[in-house]
Amino acid sequence: MNLELTDDQVALRDTTRRFLAERAPISGHVRQLLDDPVGTTEAVWRGLADLGTTGLLVPEEYGGAGMTMAEAGVVAEELGAALHPGPWLSTAVAAARTLTRLGAQGADAKLLTGIADGSTIATVGFLDLGGTPVVAVEQGGQVLLQGELPVVPDAAAADVLLVLAENAQDTGLFAVQTASSGVSLTSVPGIDQTRKQFRVALDGAPAQRLATAAPEAVAAVVDDVLIAMAADALGAARAVMHLAVEYAKVRKQFGQVIGSFQAVQHLCVDMYETVELARSGVIHALWAADANPADDPDTGERHLAALRAKAFAGRLATVADTAIQVFGGIGYTWEHDAHLYLKRLLSWSAFLGGPDGHLTELGARLAKRGQP
Amino acid sequence: MDFSYPAEVEQFRTELRDWLSANLTDELSAARRPAGRTDEMFEALRVWNRMMADAGWAAVSWPREYGGRGATVLEQLVYTEETTRARAPLPLNVIGMNNIAPAIMQYGTEDQKTTLLPRMMRADDIWCQGMSEPEAGSDLAALRTKAVRDGADFVVNGQKIWTSLGHRAQWCQLYVRTDPDAPKHQGISCLIVDMTLPGIEVRPLVTLNGDTDFAEVFFHDVRVPASALLGPLNAGWQVATTTLSHERAGAARLYAEMEARLEELVDDFASVPGALDDPVTLRRLGEIAVRIKYLEVLCQRSISATLHGGSDHAAFGTASLAKTVWGEIGQEVAALGFDVLGTRGSNAPWANYRLTSRSLTIAGGTTQINKNITARRVLGLPRK
Repeated sequence: MNLELTDDQVALRDTTRRFLAERAPISGHVRQLLDDPVGTTEAVWRGLADLGTTGLLVPEEYGGAGMTMAEAGVVAEELGAALHPGPWLSTAVAAARTLTRLGAQGADAKLLTGIADGSTIATVGFLDLGGTPVVAVEQGGQVLLQGELPVVPDAAAADVLLVLAENAQDTGLFAVQTASSGVSLTSVPGIDQTRKQFRVALDGAPAQRLATAAPEAVAAVVDDVLIAMAADALGAARAVMHLAVEYAKVRKQFGQVIGSFQAVQHLCVDMYETVELARSGVIHALWAADANPADDPDTGERHLAALRAKAFAGRLATVADTAIQVFGGIGYTWEHDAHLYLKRLLSWSAFLGGPDGHLTELGARLAKRGQP
Repeated sequence: MDFSYPAEVEQFRTELRDWLSANLTDELSAARRPAGRTDEMFEALRVWNRMMADAGWAAVSWPREYGGRGATVLEQLVYTEETTRARAPLPLNVIGMNNIAPAIMQYGTEDQKTTLLPRMMRADDIWCQGMSEPEAGSDLAALRTKAVRDGADFVVNGQKIWTSLGHRAQWCQLYVRTDPDAPKHQGISCLIVDMTLPGIEVRPLVTLNGDTDFAEVFFHDVRVPASALLGPLNAGWQVATTTLSHERAGAARLYAEMEARLEELVDDFASVPGALDDPVTLRRLGEIAVRIKYLEVLCQRSISATLHGGSDHAAFGTASLAKTVWGEIGQEVAALGFDVLGTRGSNAPWANYRLTSRSLTIAGGTTQINKNITARRVLGLPRK
């Protein structure tokens, strides 16, 4: 049992943190892109790719680093702390894990190598299902997709969209070039302007079939994405807590710093408690994501870990609320960054349904085990 | 990042689990909580403590020379997990073995070590710890019970309170003021006091649920031989802090206990028709389950930091949080149990826990003082 970061993981964390602070800071980068549909710039994206962050989860034979979710979590946490608005999680985690988990590595080798070196940005269209399923029809030796995807993250930034679609036989994984005819995007603004999401209509969009979509493999990818998002949210919560604690050390009222008041100290410790509980959950989930490749979705540790992370999201968001409370009036302004963190955490809390449903599901699982 | 235990630790786990399943009876498990514990149960537990000692399972963290197993930190953690999950009673001398014995091992004379430790492990002698006083609760170093050297003896006068097992103990590890003029942390000494000495009066304290868990202990001109000193004169604060910082693996008790409580809660709910169909109850169960799992990892992080060169800062921060979180979870479990089950069940266990769980955020340092310490030591917030 060893829960410490390795030297390599610490180095990855530090270089990512430094890059984001210098090249993609909140004031000079994130705020400029709040209304931008793509959420990144050529230079910043190239920089992230050059650090190797886009290929962490891509197997080495496709030009990636062949690493685990632990390393992806290290990067996700830093991106969350920097409120990064780019499509990293969609391409480097969601798309990369879709291709490897569904056994589609070989179907289009260029896709994975492109994800690894950052020249291709991909996203997935099956995280938030709500509409009717996408249908694949063959026409003149071509596969065309028909249907609508209600919420697709980073679709405007993406070159390739990975979609699940049905034909008469089964459900398959398909790649769609977002620039092709028959693909149209509509922005779906959420509470968080650092997260770009879109409704995607597919009307005879040409597609390439990559693999059969085994439901358990798809479920595993959804877990991976939830776990990486939990790491991102942990980073955001950690960062806003840090800002508030440092503020409490310098802001003076009644002739003393407010951080010397017990009432403020206890708010700070409450934030710290929540952040460290979340970190505990994230560490465990990142490990569980790769510990048992043949995880049973019903009892598996990975799925439970993802579910717990989602269920804890509501509580994690209170860190930003508490931070704003510590800042007082200044924290309530648009100019201050605290609200950006609150929104990042709230969008994680709302993703795939708020915490109540997930908490109740966890309770129901426990109840099922407790009964004969 | 690896949560798995090495094979030899799993082997240790299997051995212990086998021994417990062969020897631990339902009657002993039922006697594990102090609430409603009769004298007969106390004696049965004494016999159980001897059985464990004879089998080498009583004090696994102690060195072999004192009857322990010299267990590694991970083995200690597994020991705590398994004994808790099996519903094994804690040793009667749990405070003595975890908090007093390490100080005797570090500061005691050879004679003190060889005569006192084996009898403590076997529960032949019961031990209490004289720390808190009416005017020295959270502010322990403000203690006023004084010991004045007179010939070959110390003469002790004063009062201790919240002394667990005070009414049953043969020995007391007593903290006294030996230099009233020194700064408060520097004038304290530690004595090992025979509780049968003349001038000691013990008054059991009845707690809010009617149990007698602890006592007030009064000292009137008690003559304690100077040889009873543990550690150097006026070095009592160092002795006390060794004591309190020992046994990081003991943190496993925090989550293992809550896991066991949650399991019992769900079992009890399952016996009430409809209880587990209520979505509000399920939601509260889910909330508790997440926090217990995260508490488990928090404790493991604290242990991992100690084992693998993480910072002391991290180890302290997580350990201190774990205590706070444990108390909060216990109170949530108790509240849910009582809200759903009220006074059902023989001895109304959930009503009782609803009352006693208040102590979880008081005993061993209140949550508020803990937060003050964390704010300063971990977050670096200033005193002024």
